[in-house]
This record gives sequence, structure tokens and C-alpha cells, in this order.
Amino acid sequence: MTSSLAPRLALGTVVALVLLFLVLPILIVVPMSFSNARFLTFPPPGYSLRWYEAFFGNPAWMQAARVSLGVAAATAIGATLIGTAAAYALSMSGSRLARSLTVILLLPLVVPIVITAIGVFFVFAKTGLLATLPGLVLANVMLATPYVVTSVLAGLRGFDPAQEMVARSLGMNRLRAFLSVTLPQIRPSVVSGALFAFISALDETVVAIFIAGGQNQTLTKRMFTSLRDEIDPTIAAISSLLTAASLMVVVLASLSARKSSTNP
Amino acid sequence: MASLLRWTALACLLGTAAPALAAEQITFVSQGGAYQQAQTKAILDPAAKALGITINQDSAPDAWPVIRTQGATGKPTWDVVDTPTQDCVRGGKAGLIEKLDFSKIPNAAAIPASYKTEYSVPYEFYSSVLAYNKSKYGKNPPQGWADFWDVKKFPGARALRNHPLATLEAALMADGVAPDKLYPLDVDRAFRKLEAIKPHISVWWTSGGQSALLIQGGEVDMEMMWNGRVSAVMEAGADADYTYNQGILQNTSLCILKNAPNLATAVKFVNEAIDPKLQANLPLNIPYGPGNPAAFDTGIIPAALAAKLPSAPDNAKKQAVLSAEWWTSEAGEAALKRWADFVQKK
Amino acid sequence: MTPSSPALRRHERREQMLVLALLSPALAVVAALLVVPLAWLAVQSVTSDGAFTLEHYRRFLTEDIYWRSFLLTFRIALTVTVLAVLLGYPVAYAAATLPRRWSVVVLGLVILPFWTSVLVRAYAWMVLLQRRGLVNGMLQGLGLTDQPIALINNEFGTVLATLHILLPFMVLPLYATMQRIPRDLMLAGASLGGGPLHVFLRVFLPLSMPGVVAGTVLVFVLALGFYITPELLGGGRTFMVSMLVSRNVEIYNQWGAASAIGVVLLVCVAALFWLASRVVPLERIMGAR
Repeated sequence: MTSSLAPRLALGTVVALVLLFLVLPILIVVPMSFSNARFLTFPPPGYSLRWYEAFFGNPAWMQAARVSLGVAAATAIGATLIGTAAAYALSMSGSRLARSLTVILLLPLVVPIVITAIGVFFVFAKTGLLATLPGLVLANVMLATPYVVTSVLAGLRGFDPAQEMVARSLGMNRLRAFLSVTLPQIRPSVVSGALFAFISALDETVVAIFIAGGQNQTLTKRMFTSLRDEIDPTIAAISSLLTAASLMVVVLASLSARKSSTNP
Repeated sequence: MASLLRWTALACLLGTAAPALAAEQITFVSQGGAYQQAQTKAILDPAAKALGITINQDSAPDAWPVIRTQGATGKPTWDVVDTPTQDCVRGGKAGLIEKLDFSKIPNAAAIPASYKTEYSVPYEFYSSVLAYNKSKYGKNPPQGWADFWDVKKFPGARALRNHPLATLEAALMADGVAPDKLYPLDVDRAFRKLEAIKPHISVWWTSGGQSALLIQGGEVDMEMMWNGRVSAVMEAGADADYTYNQGILQNTSLCILKNAPNLATAVKFVNEAIDPKLQANLPLNIPYGPGNPAAFDTGIIPAALAAKLPSAPDNAKKQAVLSAEWWTSEAGEAALKRWADFVQKK
Repeated sequence: MTPSSPALRRHERREQMLVLALLSPALAVVAALLVVPLAWLAVQSVTSDGAFTLEHYRRFLTEDIYWRSFLLTFRIALTVTVLAVLLGYPVAYAAATLPRRWSVVVLGLVILPFWTSVLVRAYAWMVLLQRRGLVNGMLQGLGLTDQPIALINNEFGTVLATLHILLPFMVLPLYATMQRIPRDLMLAGASLGGGPLHVFLRVFLPLSMPGVVAGTVLVFVLALGFYITPELLGGGRTFMVSMLVSRNVEIYNQWGAASAIGVVLLVCVAALFWLASRVVPLERIMGAR
């Protein structure tokens, strides 16, 4: 494939353009967050920190940030627990039933989100979970479980179940064998599943629009309503902060993964 | 992680325990953003202080669906809503809004009867005005809805709100109906007129924020907007201007949800919120007119500012006054339903 | 492995119980928050005031908006999917064939948009594409147009922003498939005298097809249910099915109508998956390879 230059040049150009298309909106969000203008404009006429001040100085935004972070953390924990358990069970049993159950667990990925949203809205309206933290966490756990399941399933595929058998034959009970033999080896896939769950909960918008409210508004819901009212650079500031936070979580996670893989 | 868990648990506890702790409080709902911030400073904080109550705030750009949902559960969480008057009236007709006991709202006495309903008191006035790109039209800007409809004399991209309210009124005025002879609206005639301008409308906007970005980013040259929105983009240096000619004067009102959790406090709050002095504070923070005209007599609003307000007498006389009564009638409801068909059809 | 001995059978039963116990929390959450509501939607769609009716489905025949909206939604989803294949394939190819150092960069840039809220990206496009925006300025500067072009508040803007959000969902399954194509096979093809293009068309392309199918189905289905971008960038005229659903619920409080639309959309999605599953296993499309 090294023979001719022209096709490779053409390919390179196309790839570069597509990548530019992908990062372009992100590239303008960060500068806009430091704008000193009242409205969202690019390039900004001047720079200031006023929109970060607007965010940190507003109790409603701060409350929404707390709700979002709390919900995302609780979602990551919940979805990782039940998703890992489910993936482990599915990989143990190779039956046809397991295959169809996998499909059910992955449903939240493919049911159009608006339909999911009105469905969840209906269930919550009947059970009094509308505009509550437990409701938000439950909904996000449901949406995030598929990420954990797929990630952990992939991790388990590269794992030899015989190792766990050996541990059990040495007298460990099942849970201990899983925790001390299996889990350390599939840890990267569990961590990446948890990360995805965290980030998906942080970014979830459509379901939150329907079910969040009162004191329990997520950042995305508040952004949606606030944008209807006024399109100012606060959202660019929030978005930049969220990006930074997500990146930091990823870096921390990969650092800890590397550390654990270096000491066996 | 452990602390986050603890935090979540704590937040759940606080969420359920808080209402029992405070002495007197209400949940007040408005439309959010700069407008809600302005009234917090002008009206809500002073009212809370004067009455010694806690005012919890919520916001909903469109309160109506929420009012309906909360009503359906029989246990609303909101007390007082600031929303376009027609929501109060149709909510009242549907048993979702309390009838007001005006003997407990003495401040309402100074308000003209035409602004009040059995369910609501006026809170603030705004207007749907014709805004335009200033440099594009130079010395000869559009002066009314007939000009907005005249695509030959005034070329350019246009936007209207994706909602029949005020839009039907504008269409009828463009067709020559006098501002004071609009009601009952001739809906067929209005939609016929709208069909004519439809190919030239490049955006049907759905939110105030969007309408501001449209004129500020140059996406359109002419659009129907709320006066406070145009003033805001003009202050921010945008190349825009507007006219009160044939503007459609509208107001939001305060009303109380049926079975509101803090009914007695809510009534006290409603009275305080339309106090002329607090009302006069509002235009100092955002260019909307006070709902209680007595505010103009307090001396708090400077004359130069008063002249810019939509409900100031000189401006009011150039405009049509929207009839919440008509829009909550059967004909009004039918017009609302007809709108979706109109916008979607090619 | 004959299940003859009772001990073995007991063991097997215990294993099954364990599998069930481990699965049940996840299944319970998905069932309670998704399967039950979907069933309820199905019931709602055929009832009116407690009685059976097909009235909500009849609207598809009588009211223009309904089928117009479905038509538009399918057209947009199809456009987005075709573009995603055309643009995503070269990127995935580059990521799969470049040296590791570079492929990490390519994949990193593909994943980067995930870190930015979908909402904020929609507004970023608004700012970039409006008439006084950067892109129109550049087009005019290059002399490609003398009048600013309407790039948003129409179908074009909706397609572009939707494509931006969904492109990674095409690239990632494509990359996963391409990565598994053995290099030796390509070398073997080349050593048999095929030119690079020939080897690509005869060896690489067919082997990457499962990835293409997986990515296509995923992107198409996700595009069918899109909500935020048409709402914000459609100019009020790009009325996709998701907006029809939410309007019916929020403005008109017509759960029956909304449910019927939802059911029809779901049936379309299910049909697509069924078709695709004849080529590629379902779990693989959904990423659980």
C-alpha cells in the first residue's frame, strides 16, 4: 500500500477535513467561554472571566452542578455494580436465553430517547419520583447500564474462566474468587464502563428535560431552559468546565489503571 | 466516592425535611433568566423581607404543561405562578387555578378592571414589536406590520414566533384591521394573510433567547420580538432597532395553583408583589412595564425610562392590547390547534 | 457432559440460580423503567377514555403532518447515515492502518466531541453557521458567494449538527472491525499481484462490511429518534418525529397520539434491527461484540 503517493495524500486530506469538522465546534466553545460580550459570539470581542463568575456566583447554577455531579457519581456506582454483575452472569451462561437477555439489557441504547423520556416520565408521575434525586439516579442508571454491560462483557471475553475455577478449587468462595482473581484482570473494562456511565449521566439532556425539576434540576436541564431565555456565554463556561472535569476523571482513571498494572 | 455517597444521602434527607423546618414559605415560579433575576432584585427579595417569608424560586419558560401536570396529581408543589394571563384564565376554567379573594388583595384596587381577571392580577407588561436591522433599512425602516409583509419594498430575511399568539394579531393589522378592532379575531383572514408571508419567513422561533440571537447574529433582517429582548441586544451593541407602532401589548399575571401547599401565604405574597413601590422597581432592572399602573405615580421611575416602557401611556396608544379572554375562548383554542398544521404544511 | 448424576444437576441448577440472581437487578431496572413504559405506550396508543380505538393510528392516514414528519425523519436519517459512512470510513481506515502513535491521535479527535454537551455543540454550530458567522465570512472572503447563505434554521443545519453528533458512532464500530482484519491477508493479496486498489476492493472492503452494517444501523436508528438538534437548528420547519411526540405530550397533552407515533417509530426501529441481524449478530451492532 506504499506504492503511490497520490491516493494516500487524498486520504490524508479527507481524514484531516473530517477531523476538523469533528473538533471545530469544540474549538470555539472554550474561547467563547472567556468572552466579555453579553451574547454568544465568535470570535469574542474581548476576553474576561465574567461568565465563570456568573456561573460560580449563581446559587441556582451551583445547585444544579451539585445535583449533576451527585447524580452522575451515584449513577456510575449503581450502573457499574448491576452492570458488572449482569455481564459476569451473561458470560458464565452461554445459553440462548442469555443472548436474548443481553439484547434486553442493551435496549436503552436503541429505543429513541424521546420515547424513553415520556415512558420514564409516565412511570415517575405514577410513583412520585418526578423531580427527585432518586428518580434522576434511577433513570440514569437505566440509561448507563448498557455501557457497563458491553464494556465488561468485552473485558470478560479476554479472560480465562479457568483461573477463577482454580481459585475456587483452592478453597476460596465464589465472591472472593471473583474479587481477588477475576476483577483485577477485567478492571480496565469495569473502569471504562464506569467512566462512560458517569459521563453519559453528566451529559444526559432529553430525559432530564422531562423528569428533572424544582430543586433537583441537572445542569443540562438548567442549560436547556436558560438557553431558551438567554443565549449567553455561561453555557460555554459550563461546557468548558464539564469537559475539563471529564478529562480529569479519565486521566485519573488511566493513571490508576497504569499504577495497578505495574505492581502485580 | 464515599463522601459523594454521603452527600447524596444528605441531599435526599434535606429535600424531604426542609419544608417542615421553615416558618412560612411559598414556591414562586417565573420564566427564568434575566427576567427572573431582575424581579428577584426588584420585587421578590423586598417582598420576602417585608412579609418575613421564604420565597423558593422555580422557573419554567412554559408553565402551562406543568400547571396541568401538577393539577392532575392533586398535590401541586408550586404556589404562585407568573405566566401569561391566558394560562391563569384557562387554568381557572379547568379548575387548576384558585379564584382570588380580592378583599385580601387591597393593592389590586388601583388596577383597572380590564387588566384583572377572577383568577389573576397583572404583574408586568411587555410588547411583541417589530424589530429590524438598523443599517440595512437606514432612513426608511419598516413602520408596521404592513411593511413587514411588503417583501418588495423591504427585502430581507424574516422571522416570526412559532406561535399564533400576537402573530395572528399582526397578520390582521398587516391586512388593514385597526388595532382596536381586532377582537374577535377573524382567524381565517389571519391565516390567509400568513400564508402569503410564509415563503419569506426563514425562521419560526420558539424562545426569546433564540429571537435575540437571530437579530444579533444577522440571521434575519426583520422579526417580531418582545421589546425587552430587542432593548437587550441593542444595549449589547447590536445593529438593531424597533418600533412600538402596532406592537401587541401583553402582560403576565400572578395566579395561585388550586390546592396550593401554602395558600394563605401565597395570597399575602400576591398582594405584596403588586405593591406600587415594588412594581416601580421592576423597570429599573429590566425594560418591562409595571403591572400596577399606580407604579408610574410613585416617582421611582424616571420620566426618560417611563417613555421607553411598553405600558407608558404614549407608547400604549400606538399598540393593540392582547385579549387573554379571546385566546382562552373556544375560538382561541381552535386557533392554537390550527397553528401546528399551518407551520408544518409546505 | 451428561446431566445424569443428581449432584451435577444440582450444581447446574445452582449455577442457573446464580446467573439469574446476578442478572436480576439490571433486568429489573430496565424492565421497570423501559419495558413497562413501552408496554404502557402500546396500550395507550389503542385506547381513548378507557375504550379500545384505532383513532390514534388513523391520524397517520388522515393528518398530513404525521406522514410528512415520518418522511422527513427518514430522509434526514438516511442522509446522515450515508454521509457518516462516506466520511467515517476513511477516518476509521486511517485509524486502523496508521502507526499506533497516529492512530491514537485520530481516535482521540473522534472521541473528543463526546466530552462536550450535545446542547452546547448545537449552539456552537449556530454561532459558526449564522449569516454573520465564521463560515459565511470565510465563504464570502474566498469569493465563493457574495450573499450570506442560510446554513442553519433549515434541514441542512439539522443534518450537519446531527451528523456531527453521530459520526463517532460510525467510526468506532468500523475501526473495531477493521482492526481485526489480519494484515497478512492484505500482504498475501498484494503478493498475488493485486494492485493496492485491487487488494482494497477485493480483500479489505468485504471484510470490513460487518462494521459498515453495524455502524449504519446504529447511526440510522439513533438519527430516527433525534430531538435536540432539529429542535434547535431546524428553524421551526424541520419537524421530526421526536418533536411530534414531545409536542403532543407537552402542548396538547395527547398521550394517545404521542404513544401511537412512538409505537410506529419503535416498530420501524425493530424492523431495521431484525433486517440487520440477518447479516450481523445483534449484540455486535450494539457494541457487545
